[in-house]
Amino acid sequence: MHELMNTAREALHLLVSLDPALWEIIGVSFRVSLTAILVALPPSLLIALLLARVAFPGRWFAISLVNTFMAVPTVVVGLVLFMLLSRSGPLGELRLLFTQRAMILGQILLAMPVLTAMLHSTLQSIDQRAWETARQLGAGWWQSLWVLIREARFGVIAAVLAAFGRIIAEVGSAVMIGGNIEHFTRTITTAIALETLKGEFAQGLALGLVLLLLALVLNVLLGVMRGRGHQTVSV
Amino acid sequence: MLEVSQLAHGFDRQPALWEIPNLQWQGHSLVHLRGDNGSGKTTLLRLLAGLETPRQGTIRWTLTGAMPAASPPCPGRVLYLHQQPYLFDTSVAGNLRYVARWHGWRGNLAHDRVAAMLERCGLAAHAAQRARSLSGGERMRLALARAWLLSPRVLLLDEPTASLDRQAIADVSTLISSLHETGCAIVLSAHQPSVLTERCDEYWCLEQRCLQVSAFKQAVAV
Repeated sequence: MHELMNTAREALHLLVSLDPALWEIIGVSFRVSLTAILVALPPSLLIALLLARVAFPGRWFAISLVNTFMAVPTVVVGLVLFMLLSRSGPLGELRLLFTQRAMILGQILLAMPVLTAMLHSTLQSIDQRAWETARQLGAGWWQSLWVLIREARFGVIAAVLAAFGRIIAEVGSAVMIGGNIEHFTRTITTAIALETLKGEFAQGLALGLVLLLLALVLNVLLGVMRGRGHQTVSV
Repeated sequence: MLEVSQLAHGFDRQPALWEIPNLQWQGHSLVHLRGDNGSGKTTLLRLLAGLETPRQGTIRWTLTGAMPAASPPCPGRVLYLHQQPYLFDTSVAGNLRYVARWHGWRGNLAHDRVAAMLERCGLAAHAAQRARSLSGGERMRLALARAWLLSPRVLLLDEPTASLDRQAIADVSTLISSLHETGCAIVLSAHQPSVLTERCDEYWCLEQRCLQVSAFKQAVAV
Protein backbone atom coordinates (compact mmCIF):
# COMPACT_ATOMS: atom_id res chain seq x y z
CA MET A 1 0.00 0.00 0.00
CA HIS A 2 2.82 2.31 0.99
CA GLU A 3 4.60 1.63 -2.33
CA LEU A 4 1.41 2.31 -4.24
CA MET A 5 1.02 5.68 -2.50
CA ASN A 6 4.62 6.56 -3.29
CA THR A 7 4.13 5.64 -6.95
CA ALA A 8 0.96 7.74 -7.14
CA ARG A 9 2.78 10.70 -5.53
CA GLU A 10 5.64 10.34 -7.98
CA ALA A 11 3.20 10.12 -10.90
CA LEU A 12 1.47 13.32 -9.82
CA HIS A 13 4.83 15.03 -9.43
CA LEU A 14 5.77 14.05 -13.01
CA LEU A 15 2.53 15.55 -14.29
CA VAL A 16 2.64 18.75 -12.26
CA SER A 17 6.36 19.37 -12.83
CA LEU A 18 5.74 19.19 -16.59
CA ASP A 19 8.31 16.41 -17.01
CA PRO A 20 9.62 16.85 -20.60
CA ALA A 21 9.76 13.09 -21.37
CA LEU A 22 6.20 12.61 -20.18
CA TRP A 23 4.77 15.58 -22.06
CA GLU A 24 6.66 14.59 -25.21
CA ILE A 25 4.83 11.23 -25.18
CA ILE A 26 1.51 12.99 -24.60
CA GLY A 27 2.34 15.35 -27.50
CA VAL A 28 3.04 12.46 -29.90
CA SER A 29 -0.23 10.77 -28.90
CA PHE A 30 -2.33 13.86 -29.50
CA ARG A 31 -0.52 14.77 -32.74
CA VAL A 32 -1.03 11.29 -34.22
CA SER A 33 -4.64 10.90 -33.10
CA LEU A 34 -5.75 14.42 -34.07
CA THR A 35 -4.19 14.05 -37.53
CA ALA A 36 -5.90 10.67 -37.97
CA ILE A 37 -9.28 12.15 -37.02
CA LEU A 38 -8.85 15.12 -39.36
CA VAL A 39 -7.95 12.85 -42.27
CA ALA A 40 -10.67 10.28 -41.49
CA LEU A 41 -13.51 12.77 -41.07
CA PRO A 42 -14.19 13.92 -44.68
CA PRO A 43 -14.35 10.43 -46.27
CA SER A 44 -16.38 9.11 -43.31
CA LEU A 45 -18.81 11.99 -43.72
CA LEU A 46 -19.22 11.28 -47.43
CA ILE A 47 -19.75 7.54 -46.89
CA ALA A 48 -22.22 8.25 -44.08
CA LEU A 49 -24.14 10.68 -46.29
CA LEU A 50 -24.24 8.12 -49.07
CA LEU A 51 -25.53 5.43 -46.72
CA ALA A 52 -28.05 7.74 -45.07
CA ARG A 53 -29.46 9.54 -48.09
CA VAL A 54 -28.94 7.51 -51.24
CA ALA A 55 -30.86 4.30 -51.92
CA PHE A 56 -28.69 1.78 -53.78
CA PRO A 57 -28.63 -2.02 -54.04
CA GLY A 58 -26.73 -3.59 -51.16
CA ARG A 59 -26.98 -0.55 -48.89
CA TRP A 60 -28.02 -2.67 -45.90
CA PHE A 61 -24.95 -4.86 -46.50
CA ALA A 62 -22.66 -1.81 -46.64
CA ILE A 63 -24.15 -0.60 -43.32
CA SER A 64 -23.59 -4.05 -41.78
CA LEU A 65 -20.02 -3.99 -43.04
CA VAL A 66 -19.34 -0.62 -41.40
CA ASN A 67 -20.82 -1.87 -38.14
CA THR A 68 -18.68 -5.01 -38.35
CA PHE A 69 -15.50 -3.00 -38.85
CA MET A 70 -16.28 -1.13 -35.64
CA ALA A 71 -15.66 -4.35 -33.75
CA VAL A 72 -12.35 -5.23 -35.45
CA PRO A 73 -9.66 -5.65 -32.74
CA THR A 74 -6.89 -3.06 -32.94
CA VAL A 75 -4.22 -5.77 -33.07
CA VAL A 76 -5.82 -7.17 -36.23
CA VAL A 77 -5.54 -3.73 -37.87
CA GLY A 78 -1.93 -3.61 -36.64
CA LEU A 79 -1.22 -7.07 -38.02
CA VAL A 80 -2.69 -6.32 -41.47
CA LEU A 81 -0.84 -3.02 -41.72
CA PHE A 82 2.38 -4.66 -40.50
CA MET A 83 2.15 -7.23 -43.29
CA LEU A 84 1.41 -4.53 -45.86
CA LEU A 85 4.11 -2.10 -44.71
CA SER A 86 6.94 -4.48 -43.80
CA ARG A 87 9.92 -4.65 -46.15
CA SER A 88 8.62 -7.80 -47.85
CA GLY A 89 5.03 -6.48 -48.01
CA PRO A 90 3.36 -4.90 -51.05
CA LEU A 91 3.79 -1.38 -49.59
CA GLY A 92 7.27 -2.00 -48.14
CA GLU A 93 8.87 0.40 -50.62
CA LEU A 94 7.10 3.29 -48.90
CA ARG A 95 9.22 2.66 -45.77
CA LEU A 96 6.39 3.65 -43.49
CA LEU A 97 6.70 0.94 -40.87
CA PHE A 98 7.64 2.25 -37.40
CA THR A 99 6.83 5.84 -38.32
CA GLN A 100 4.16 8.23 -37.09
CA ARG A 101 2.62 8.11 -40.56
CA ALA A 102 2.04 4.39 -40.21
CA MET A 103 0.44 4.97 -36.82
CA ILE A 104 -1.78 7.65 -38.33
CA LEU A 105 -2.78 5.21 -41.06
CA GLY A 106 -3.67 2.58 -38.47
CA GLN A 107 -5.71 5.06 -36.44
CA ILE A 108 -7.52 6.27 -39.57
CA LEU A 109 -8.60 2.69 -40.22
CA LEU A 110 -9.79 2.38 -36.63
CA ALA A 111 -11.55 5.74 -36.56
CA MET A 112 -13.39 5.51 -39.88
CA PRO A 113 -15.92 2.78 -38.95
CA VAL A 114 -16.78 4.56 -35.68
CA LEU A 115 -17.12 7.92 -37.43
CA THR A 116 -19.10 6.47 -40.34
CA ALA A 117 -21.52 4.48 -38.18
CA MET A 118 -22.22 7.39 -35.82
CA LEU A 119 -22.46 9.96 -38.61
CA HIS A 120 -24.76 7.65 -40.58
CA SER A 121 -27.07 7.35 -37.61
CA THR A 122 -27.02 11.13 -37.06
CA LEU A 123 -27.60 12.06 -40.70
CA GLN A 124 -30.35 9.50 -41.07
CA SER A 125 -32.25 11.13 -38.24
CA ILE A 126 -32.19 14.54 -39.92
CA ASP A 127 -35.65 15.43 -41.19
CA GLN A 128 -36.12 15.00 -44.94
CA ARG A 129 -37.80 18.43 -44.91
CA ALA A 130 -34.43 20.05 -44.15
CA TRP A 131 -33.09 19.12 -47.59
CA GLU A 132 -36.37 19.94 -49.35
CA THR A 133 -36.68 23.30 -47.63
CA ALA A 134 -33.12 24.31 -48.45
CA ARG A 135 -33.51 23.29 -52.10
CA GLN A 136 -36.90 25.02 -52.34
CA LEU A 137 -35.46 28.21 -50.97
CA GLY A 138 -32.76 28.26 -53.61
CA ALA A 139 -29.78 26.54 -51.97
CA GLY A 140 -27.49 24.70 -54.36
CA TRP A 141 -26.63 21.02 -53.90
CA TRP A 142 -23.49 21.70 -51.86
CA GLN A 143 -25.18 24.44 -49.87
CA SER A 144 -28.02 22.04 -49.00
CA LEU A 145 -25.47 19.42 -48.01
CA TRP A 146 -23.78 21.94 -45.73
CA VAL A 147 -27.18 22.73 -44.18
CA LEU A 148 -27.69 19.03 -43.42
CA ILE A 149 -24.28 18.78 -41.77
CA ARG A 150 -24.90 21.96 -39.81
CA GLU A 151 -28.27 20.68 -38.62
CA ALA A 152 -26.49 17.50 -37.50
CA ARG A 153 -23.57 19.36 -35.91
CA PHE A 154 -24.00 18.05 -32.38
CA GLY A 155 -24.08 14.48 -33.68
CA VAL A 156 -21.00 15.17 -35.82
CA ILE A 157 -19.07 16.53 -32.83
CA ALA A 158 -20.19 13.54 -30.73
CA ALA A 159 -18.94 11.15 -33.43
CA VAL A 160 -15.56 12.93 -33.56
CA LEU A 161 -15.20 12.79 -29.78
CA ALA A 162 -16.12 9.09 -29.63
CA ALA A 163 -13.71 8.18 -32.44
CA PHE A 164 -10.93 10.26 -30.88
CA GLY A 165 -11.49 8.50 -27.56
CA ARG A 166 -11.18 5.12 -29.26
CA ILE A 167 -7.99 5.79 -31.20
CA ILE A 168 -6.01 7.67 -28.58
CA ALA A 169 -6.59 4.82 -26.12
CA GLU A 170 -5.73 1.97 -28.50
CA VAL A 171 -2.46 0.10 -28.03
CA GLY A 172 -2.50 -2.90 -30.38
CA SER A 173 -2.03 -1.10 -33.69
CA ALA A 174 0.24 1.61 -32.23
CA VAL A 175 2.75 -0.82 -30.76
CA MET A 176 2.80 -3.13 -33.80
CA ILE A 177 3.28 -0.54 -36.53
CA GLY A 178 4.75 2.28 -34.46
CA GLY A 179 7.31 0.20 -32.65
CA ASN A 180 7.24 2.32 -29.46
CA ILE A 181 10.41 4.21 -30.46
CA GLU A 182 11.46 6.81 -27.89
CA HIS A 183 11.08 10.46 -28.97
CA PHE A 184 9.38 9.30 -32.18
CA THR A 185 6.54 6.79 -31.99
CA ARG A 186 6.13 6.32 -28.27
CA THR A 187 2.54 7.14 -27.31
CA ILE A 188 0.68 7.19 -24.01
CA THR A 189 -0.58 3.62 -24.34
CA THR A 190 2.64 2.07 -25.67
CA ALA A 191 4.65 3.86 -22.99
CA ILE A 192 2.33 2.56 -20.26
CA ALA A 193 2.84 -1.00 -21.55
CA LEU A 194 6.63 -0.53 -21.74
CA GLU A 195 7.07 1.14 -18.35
CA THR A 196 4.95 -1.51 -16.65
CA LEU A 197 7.07 -4.28 -18.16
CA LYS A 198 10.18 -2.51 -16.89
CA GLY A 199 8.68 -2.35 -13.42
CA GLU A 200 8.67 1.48 -13.44
CA PHE A 201 5.14 2.32 -12.58
CA ALA A 202 5.26 6.08 -11.92
CA GLN A 203 5.40 7.27 -15.53
CA GLY A 204 2.87 4.61 -16.58
CA LEU A 205 0.53 5.72 -13.81
CA ALA A 206 0.97 9.39 -14.73
CA LEU A 207 0.14 8.62 -18.35
CA GLY A 208 -2.79 6.48 -17.23
CA LEU A 209 -4.09 9.48 -15.27
CA VAL A 210 -3.85 11.59 -18.42
CA LEU A 211 -5.92 9.00 -20.30
CA LEU A 212 -8.45 8.85 -17.48
CA LEU A 213 -8.70 12.62 -17.41
CA LEU A 214 -9.11 12.64 -21.18
CA ALA A 215 -11.83 9.98 -20.96
CA LEU A 216 -13.62 12.09 -18.37
CA VAL A 217 -13.41 15.25 -20.49
CA LEU A 218 -14.57 13.38 -23.62
CA ASN A 219 -17.48 11.79 -21.78
CA VAL A 220 -18.60 15.09 -20.30
CA LEU A 221 -18.39 16.70 -23.75
CA LEU A 222 -20.27 13.74 -25.30
CA GLY A 223 -22.97 14.07 -22.67
CA VAL A 224 -23.31 17.77 -23.39
CA MET A 225 -23.45 17.14 -27.15
CA ARG A 226 -26.01 14.36 -26.77
CA GLY A 227 -28.11 16.61 -24.59
CA ARG A 228 -27.99 19.43 -27.11
CA GLY A 229 -28.65 17.01 -29.96
CA HIS A 230 -31.75 15.60 -28.25
CA GLN A 231 -32.88 19.10 -27.45
CA THR A 232 -32.56 19.92 -31.15
CA VAL A 233 -34.48 16.85 -32.26
CA SER A 234 -37.26 17.13 -29.74
CA VAL A 235 -38.08 20.80 -30.28
CA MET B 1 -49.53 29.82 -66.10
CA LEU B 2 -49.85 26.20 -65.00
CA GLU B 3 -50.66 23.49 -67.51
CA VAL B 4 -51.29 19.99 -66.29
CA SER B 5 -51.93 17.17 -68.70
CA GLN B 6 -52.89 13.54 -68.12
CA LEU B 7 -51.56 13.66 -64.57
CA ALA B 8 -51.90 10.60 -62.34
CA HIS B 9 -50.00 9.61 -59.25
CA GLY B 10 -50.09 6.91 -56.61
CA PHE B 11 -47.74 5.12 -54.27
CA ASP B 12 -45.95 1.87 -55.01
CA ARG B 13 -48.27 -0.40 -57.00
CA GLN B 14 -51.48 0.99 -55.59
CA PRO B 15 -54.08 2.52 -57.92
CA ALA B 16 -53.69 6.22 -58.70
CA LEU B 17 -54.91 8.57 -55.98
CA TRP B 18 -56.53 10.70 -58.66
CA GLU B 19 -56.32 11.47 -62.35
CA ILE B 20 -56.26 14.98 -63.76
CA PRO B 21 -56.71 14.83 -67.54
CA ASN B 22 -56.36 18.55 -68.01
CA LEU B 23 -55.89 21.63 -65.83
CA GLN B 24 -55.03 25.15 -66.86
CA TRP B 25 -54.56 27.81 -64.24
CA GLN B 26 -53.57 31.38 -64.92
CA GLY B 27 -51.73 31.58 -61.64
CA HIS B 28 -53.16 34.80 -60.22
CA SER B 29 -55.84 33.68 -57.80
CA LEU B 30 -56.04 32.53 -54.20
CA VAL B 31 -57.10 28.90 -54.46
CA HIS B 32 -58.56 26.69 -51.77
CA LEU B 33 -57.69 23.03 -52.38
CA ARG B 34 -60.20 20.78 -50.64
CA GLY B 35 -60.50 17.06 -50.22
CA ASP B 36 -60.95 14.36 -47.61
CA ASN B 37 -58.11 12.88 -45.61
CA GLY B 38 -56.00 10.74 -47.90
CA SER B 39 -57.49 12.23 -51.05
CA GLY B 40 -54.02 13.31 -52.17
CA LYS B 41 -53.97 17.06 -51.52
CA THR B 42 -50.41 17.06 -50.18
CA THR B 43 -49.27 14.80 -53.00
CA LEU B 44 -50.75 17.15 -55.60
CA LEU B 45 -49.06 20.18 -54.02
CA ARG B 46 -45.71 18.37 -53.84
CA LEU B 47 -46.03 17.34 -57.48
CA LEU B 48 -46.80 20.91 -58.49
CA ALA B 49 -43.72 22.06 -56.55
CA GLY B 50 -41.58 19.46 -58.29
CA LEU B 51 -40.79 17.61 -55.08
CA GLU B 52 -42.21 14.38 -56.49
CA THR B 53 -42.10 12.91 -59.95
CA PRO B 54 -45.54 11.99 -61.30
CA ARG B 55 -46.28 8.42 -62.24
CA GLN B 56 -47.73 9.72 -65.46
CA GLY B 57 -48.48 13.02 -67.17
CA THR B 58 -46.83 16.43 -67.29
CA ILE B 59 -46.79 19.60 -65.24
CA ARG B 60 -45.61 22.77 -66.91
CA TRP B 61 -45.19 26.17 -65.33
CA THR B 62 -44.83 29.23 -67.54
CA LEU B 63 -44.06 32.09 -65.23
CA THR B 64 -42.84 35.60 -65.72
CA GLY B 65 -41.47 38.17 -63.32
CA ALA B 66 -40.19 37.69 -59.76
CA MET B 67 -37.07 35.56 -59.36
CA PRO B 68 -34.71 34.77 -62.22
CA ALA B 69 -35.19 31.33 -63.66
CA ALA B 70 -33.24 28.56 -61.97
CA SER B 71 -33.08 24.82 -62.27
CA PRO B 72 -36.45 22.99 -62.39
CA PRO B 73 -38.93 23.37 -60.85
CA CYS B 74 -37.97 27.03 -60.55
CA PRO B 75 -36.99 27.32 -56.89
CA GLY B 76 -37.94 30.71 -55.59
CA ARG B 77 -40.74 31.08 -58.08
CA VAL B 78 -42.96 28.14 -57.11
CA LEU B 79 -42.53 27.43 -53.43
CA TYR B 80 -44.09 24.71 -51.31
CA LEU B 81 -44.48 25.06 -47.56
CA HIS B 82 -44.87 21.92 -45.45
CA GLN B 83 -47.78 21.64 -43.06
CA GLN B 84 -45.22 21.76 -40.27
CA PRO B 85 -42.59 24.06 -41.78
CA TYR B 86 -39.00 23.01 -41.26
CA LEU B 87 -37.09 25.74 -39.47
CA PHE B 88 -33.33 25.61 -39.50
CA ASP B 89 -31.69 25.18 -36.11
CA THR B 90 -30.59 28.77 -35.73
CA SER B 91 -32.13 32.09 -34.77
CA VAL B 92 -35.23 33.58 -36.39
CA ALA B 93 -33.11 36.12 -38.28
CA GLY B 94 -30.60 33.35 -39.06
CA ASN B 95 -33.30 31.47 -40.96
CA LEU B 96 -33.77 34.48 -43.24
CA ARG B 97 -30.02 35.09 -43.50
CA TYR B 98 -29.63 31.57 -44.93
CA VAL B 99 -31.91 32.55 -47.81
CA ALA B 100 -30.07 35.85 -48.28
CA ARG B 101 -26.74 34.02 -48.46
CA TRP B 102 -27.99 31.46 -50.98
CA HIS B 103 -29.06 34.28 -53.26
CA GLY B 104 -25.82 36.18 -52.96
CA TRP B 105 -27.15 39.12 -50.96
CA ARG B 106 -24.37 40.50 -48.81
CA GLY B 107 -23.75 43.24 -46.23
CA ASN B 108 -26.30 46.00 -45.90
CA LEU B 109 -28.51 44.64 -48.65
CA ALA B 110 -28.97 41.32 -46.83
CA HIS B 111 -29.33 43.04 -43.46
CA ASP B 112 -31.94 45.50 -44.70
CA ARG B 113 -34.02 42.88 -46.51
CA VAL B 114 -33.99 40.53 -43.55
CA ALA B 115 -34.86 43.31 -41.09
CA ALA B 116 -37.68 44.61 -43.30
CA MET B 117 -39.17 41.13 -43.71
CA LEU B 118 -39.03 40.42 -39.98
CA GLU B 119 -40.80 43.73 -39.36
CA ARG B 120 -43.41 43.01 -42.01
CA CYS B 121 -44.20 39.59 -40.56
CA GLY B 122 -44.28 40.80 -36.97
CA LEU B 123 -41.19 38.88 -35.96
CA ALA B 124 -38.73 41.73 -35.37
CA ALA B 125 -38.96 41.32 -31.60
CA HIS B 126 -38.02 37.63 -31.98
CA ALA B 127 -35.06 38.16 -34.36
CA ALA B 128 -32.45 36.77 -31.99
CA GLN B 129 -34.68 34.04 -30.55
CA ARG B 130 -34.08 30.41 -31.46
CA ALA B 131 -36.45 29.63 -34.34
CA ARG B 132 -37.55 26.30 -32.88
CA SER B 133 -38.71 27.93 -29.67
CA LEU B 134 -41.41 29.87 -31.51
CA SER B 135 -45.11 29.05 -31.15
CA GLY B 136 -47.00 27.31 -33.99
CA GLY B 137 -48.35 30.54 -35.45
CA GLU B 138 -44.99 32.28 -35.24
CA ARG B 139 -43.31 29.31 -36.92
CA MET B 140 -45.70 29.54 -39.84
CA ARG B 141 -45.14 33.30 -40.03
CA LEU B 142 -41.38 32.73 -40.11
CA ALA B 143 -41.77 30.15 -42.88
CA LEU B 144 -43.89 32.64 -44.82
CA ALA B 145 -41.32 35.39 -44.21
CA ARG B 146 -38.56 33.13 -45.52
CA ALA B 147 -40.58 32.40 -48.64
CA TRP B 148 -41.67 36.02 -49.09
CA LEU B 149 -38.05 37.11 -49.10
CA LEU B 150 -37.81 35.44 -52.51
CA SER B 151 -40.88 37.20 -53.93
CA PRO B 152 -42.33 33.89 -55.10
CA ARG B 153 -44.63 33.86 -58.07
CA VAL B 154 -46.67 30.94 -56.68
CA LEU B 155 -46.92 29.65 -53.13
CA LEU B 156 -48.27 26.18 -52.38
CA LEU B 157 -49.35 25.95 -48.75
CA ASP B 158 -50.15 22.63 -47.12
CA GLU B 159 -52.73 23.18 -44.35
CA PRO B 160 -51.13 26.45 -43.20
CA THR B 161 -53.62 27.03 -40.39
CA ALA B 162 -54.02 23.48 -39.15
CA SER B 163 -53.63 23.11 -35.39
CA LEU B 164 -53.34 26.85 -34.79
CA ASP B 165 -55.44 28.80 -32.29
CA ARG B 166 -57.88 31.47 -33.42
CA GLN B 167 -55.51 34.41 -33.02
CA ALA B 168 -52.70 32.60 -34.83
CA ILE B 169 -55.07 31.68 -37.68
CA ALA B 170 -56.05 35.35 -37.99
CA ASP B 171 -52.38 36.48 -38.03
CA VAL B 172 -51.30 33.87 -40.56
CA SER B 173 -54.36 34.57 -42.73
CA THR B 174 -53.60 38.29 -42.78
CA LEU B 175 -50.03 37.58 -43.80
CA ILE B 176 -51.07 35.19 -46.58
CA SER B 177 -53.58 37.74 -47.88
CA SER B 178 -50.89 40.44 -47.87
CA LEU B 179 -48.56 38.16 -49.76
CA HIS B 180 -51.31 37.43 -52.29
CA GLU B 181 -51.87 41.16 -52.75
CA THR B 182 -48.26 41.57 -53.85
CA GLY B 183 -49.05 39.41 -56.88
CA CYS B 184 -48.19 36.01 -55.52
CA ALA B 185 -50.69 33.33 -56.56
CA ILE B 186 -51.50 30.93 -53.75
CA VAL B 187 -52.89 27.42 -53.57
CA LEU B 188 -53.68 26.37 -50.03
CA SER B 189 -55.09 23.12 -48.80
CA ALA B 190 -57.41 23.22 -45.81
CA HIS B 191 -59.91 20.86 -44.28
CA GLN B 192 -62.08 23.31 -42.48
CA PRO B 193 -63.55 26.59 -43.75
CA SER B 194 -61.78 29.51 -42.09
CA VAL B 195 -61.21 33.23 -42.38
CA LEU B 196 -58.59 32.38 -44.94
CA THR B 197 -60.63 30.04 -47.14
CA GLU B 198 -63.43 32.62 -47.20
CA ARG B 199 -61.02 35.00 -48.92
CA CYS B 200 -60.29 32.50 -51.71
CA ASP B 201 -61.60 33.27 -55.16
CA GLU B 202 -61.24 29.81 -56.67
CA TYR B 203 -61.46 26.34 -55.36
CA TRP B 204 -60.19 22.97 -56.39
CA CYS B 205 -61.80 19.91 -54.95
CA LEU B 206 -60.30 16.44 -54.98
CA GLU B 207 -63.29 14.16 -54.99
CA GLN B 208 -63.88 10.67 -56.34
CA ARG B 209 -60.33 10.59 -57.70
CA CYS B 210 -60.90 13.71 -59.84
CA LEU B 211 -60.07 17.38 -59.47
CA GLN B 212 -63.02 19.72 -59.82
CA VAL B 213 -62.28 23.39 -60.39
CA SER B 214 -64.78 26.17 -59.70
CA ALA B 215 -64.97 29.83 -58.90
CA PHE B 216 -65.23 29.94 -55.12
CA LYS B 217 -68.34 32.11 -54.76
CA GLN B 218 -70.17 30.06 -57.35
CA ALA B 219 -69.36 26.92 -55.42
CA VAL B 220 -70.63 28.47 -52.21
CA ALA B 221 -73.87 29.40 -53.96
CA VAL B 222 -74.32 25.79 -55.09
